[in-house]
Amino acid sequence: MPRSHDAIRDYITAHSLREPPALAVLRRDNETRPRFNMQFTPESAQLLQLLIKLMGARRGIEIGTFTGYSGLAIALALPEDGRLICCDVSADYTQIARRHWAAAGIADKIELRLGPARDTLDALIAAGGTGQFDFMLIDADKTGYDSYYERGLILLRAGGLIAIDNVLWGGAVADRSGGGVETEALRTLNDKIAGDDRVDVSMLALGDGLTLARKR
Amino acid sequence: MPFEPDAIHDYIVAHSVREPAALAAIYEETKTHPFGYMQIPPESAQFLQLLVRLSGARYCIELGTFTGYSALALALALPADGKLICCDISAKVTAVARQHAERAGVADKIAFRVGPALATLDAMIAAGEAGRFDFILVDADKANYESYYERGLTLLRAGGLIAIDNVLWNGTVADPADIDPSTETLRALNAKIAADQRVDISMLALGDGLTLARKR
Repeated sequence: MPRSHDAIRDYITAHSLREPPALAVLRRDNETRPRFNMQFTPESAQLLQLLIKLMGARRGIEIGTFTGYSGLAIALALPEDGRLICCDVSADYTQIARRHWAAAGIADKIELRLGPARDTLDALIAAGGTGQFDFMLIDADKTGYDSYYERGLILLRAGGLIAIDNVLWGGAVADRSGGGVETEALRTLNDKIAGDDRVDVSMLALGDGLTLARKR
Repeated sequence: MPFEPDAIHDYIVAHSVREPAALAAIYEETKTHPFGYMQIPPESAQFLQLLVRLSGARYCIELGTFTGYSALALALALPADGKLICCDISAKVTAVARQHAERAGVADKIAFRVGPALATLDAMIAAGEAGRFDFILVDADKANYESYYERGLTLLRAGGLIAIDNVLWNGTVADPADIDPSTETLRALNAKIAADQRVDISMLALGDGLTLARKR
């Protein structure tokens, strides 16, 4: 019986990953970048696409755009009239994202908001966005996760979905012996969501750990 | 056996599994059954519940009822007017499943069909039920998996979901040296689904491997 994690992961990739050319180009472009490990994994992106289609989601928010991989994946899964608000603090990284979105022909589905995501979310709430969104992807600075999650629950409609990436943080969350502020922030959020009756949850060992929280 | 390291698996279960008492009772009771290992793990069942809720599924089919763990999980996730057709070859295990569903107060959502599932599905197709179902769970005899998948695609509406359990078969599918008939059958189905343009897919290392295939 093969218990090799790599062999099984390779098998899964070979038998399920269908990365569209536009996403493959973006990923290869990223591979030379110093912070390449920040990119959303293709398998996670594909599951998110499936969930978006399954829900018939139209309006989404992404926290943490980086060079645009997950934003592009989400936009490709959204219907023609679907809209995605992408939040990031970096003009440099998101400039790369914009280029790839334009090349893929989905730039009109995405609205990029530069600046601290908390401010962007608060502005959306102030502008009457409460309960108006179908899903949110959180994949940004870990110490901000809890505030994104709370604002996400406000902005989502009942039945909407928050997907949270990196919840296993390379497995560090399960090692009680240590970890930095990011590990601690993720542990605290995981503990909170575990007992949060506002949501139905699932935590998957996909990519760096993906939590799905459906607003009740 | 989980595919991620034990410490990670334990962390995931501790931070996400919310098993209702009625489901825990089935799990405990079935543990001593000679085929108790066939039970779907709680984290997989909970993920399926999330998918049923996210997609707003109402008409569902389960192939392989066994002692009713997943049947009860699905029935609990369905709305009050939801219906689940449960197929199993064994009257004995179906009686156990029925008893648990009655005790949990959801028996009116479930129609138990005892007999070869292929005959049950063919009868449904002959009765004009093609394209009527929202969700199908395949978790039965591996030899017939491909036939279940094909009939499932016929019975699903566009946008409906087939979830297939045990697709990693304890990791053996990734071991070329393993030529057990069940392993070969699963390998062939995995290869077919990988290239099947009728569906959007995701393959997860959840439980014994779970493939999600959404009919286009």
